Amino acid sequence: MVGSMHTANETQILTEPVARLIEEFSRLPGIGPKTASRLTFFMLRAPDEAARSLAEALIALKQQVHFCARCYFIAQGELCVVCTSPARDQRLICVVEEPLDVVAIERTGVFRGLYHVLHGRIAPLEGMNREDIYFDELLDRVRTEPVEEVILATNPNLEGEATAFHLQRALAPLGVRITRLARGLPTGGDLEWADPGTLSSALEGRREL
Amino acid sequence: MYVTHLNLRDFRNYERLDLTLEPGATLLYGPNAAGKTTVLEAIYFLATTRSPRAGADRELVRFEAQGDIGVPPFARLVCDVARAEGRVRLEVVVQRRAEEEASGSAVQTIKTVRVDRKAVRALDLVGHLRVVLFTPADVALVTGAPAERRRYLDVTLSQLEGRYVRTLAHYQKVVQQRNSLLRAWREGRRPLRSADDELAFWDRELAMAGAYILHERLRAVADLNALVGPIYGRVTSSDVALMTRYQSSVAGFGPEADTQAIERAFLEHLARQRDDEIGRGQTLVGPHRDDLLISAGTIAIGTYGSRGQQRSATLALKLGEAELMRARAGDAPVLLLDDLLSELDAERRGHLLDVLERPDQQTLVTATGTEEFEAGFLRRARRWRVEHGRLYPS
Ligand SMILES: [Zn+2]
Repeated sequence: MVGSMHTANETQILTEPVARLIEEFSRLPGIGPKTASRLTFFMLRAPDEAARSLAEALIALKQQVHFCARCYFIAQGELCVVCTSPARDQRLICVVEEPLDVVAIERTGVFRGLYHVLHGRIAPLEGMNREDIYFDELLDRVRTEPVEEVILATNPNLEGEATAFHLQRALAPLGVRITRLARGLPTGGDLEWADPGTLSSALEGRREL
Repeated sequence: MYVTHLNLRDFRNYERLDLTLEPGATLLYGPNAAGKTTVLEAIYFLATTRSPRAGADRELVRFEAQGDIGVPPFARLVCDVARAEGRVRLEVVVQRRAEEEASGSAVQTIKTVRVDRKAVRALDLVGHLRVVLFTPADVALVTGAPAERRRYLDVTLSQLEGRYVRTLAHYQKVVQQRNSLLRAWREGRRPLRSADDELAFWDRELAMAGAYILHERLRAVADLNALVGPIYGRVTSSDVALMTRYQSSVAGFGPEADTQAIERAFLEHLARQRDDEIGRGQTLVGPHRDDLLISAGTIAIGTYGSRGQQRSATLALKLGEAELMRARAGDAPVLLLDDLLSELDAERRGHLLDVLERPDQQTLVTATGTEEFEAGFLRRARRWRVEHGRLYPS
């Protein structure tokens, strides 16, 4: 949404900084105008230190963190901690939809390979197609890195299956082993919310496509 | 099967309702808008997680409902069901979303569903309680658009087969995703050259889910024909045969067609229709485009039948639905008859009441008064007078 949500008159009463912060908060996902106002007045009443600390955390987030140049997981340097670790098996790539899926799989402790984060899934209804996610970047990696197996760990729902289907088709000519997480994850669910036990047995029981 | 207990909180005009029900017939009577139909609606909702009435789910929550402190207002529906396979408690809570969360979102309510106090997906509620609802508006089943007849088959089969409910939901999602791709091509927003490749997944899912749905519908129609024909004959005291025939947008199939054959035909037909589908920007093949043709003798009853024939056919289809459920599940569904008897003439009414007199049949009947019922029925039925969202024994 573009444009100010307050009338000129309201902005005058609220003062410009208050109106502006309300507007910034209401841009965040899941935050409506009411919550945005509540948060703004909370910050106004909070000690200076709290406001400064929040502002610094936001700036640090954008200055110091970005996406890994190789796998698109979050990273502080050019590459993420997984990509820079010498202990990781370079022949194995696990493909997930979101950065939080990496966190969920890392929590199981059973996976020793690398990741590739797509940042989305194929869902035409949401305007998400192959070119809107890091799909072709994965193909480039498979062509140039010593990859032997790609594990498709997209979510076990319709859109996750669509994404896995297209990945499988695109990867097949590249002569790499392609596997999919074993069934057993709750259908329709998100990887992110699967418990570590279920997730590690899904990884260990992965099947070849 | 029968409902032994119904408990409502802030559902439509009921602030609270605590109703013990028995097998056999229950009559709810009172003036219009008193809340008779709401009791049937509540039971239908607990069986299907849907309201038979049009309108938003938001309106299910009583207008003046307060909710608990810090919680947006909600409606709660609970019922206990006695069934051949044991007792079960069903619960649905419909909560209005907080104003600011709901603004701009299509989802205005949150539905929580429990079976025996365990939270489940809404889809998994369907089938625990089987009902057949019959209202005067159901004549649209014969005279209305094809969507009415698809819904008739879907509501029946969903209550009989958990797999049907889940496959239908999956199928509908596939159609939506596929349609938005087709629309993008139609509007020139995507390059056409990758169409076959991009459709491959959605075609496969559409054909797989669609073939199962088609197969189940064909089987149901074959069974229904055997049941509906004789009922219609009795209701109209004639030997004119009422026939239903499933008209598929994929191809003509007999009831013996297996799912693999249907799936193959489906995919072939999709390939033939590709240009048309892109031109129209929508999925033109599949169970969401099908119809059920209803004829008496040689005439298409929806178009050429008299009003009386149409009513008789509707009655036969509804009783056939109940018979099909009874035959397949081994347990009679609960019949919900809304304000119906005034619509039927004495003879058709008699046929309906015969069914109600079966010992294992639970039926809830609504009416504005008691005059239209014969003394024997009134004596046997449990009677409640309904006024302003309250029930009084009578
Ligand atoms: Zn990385």
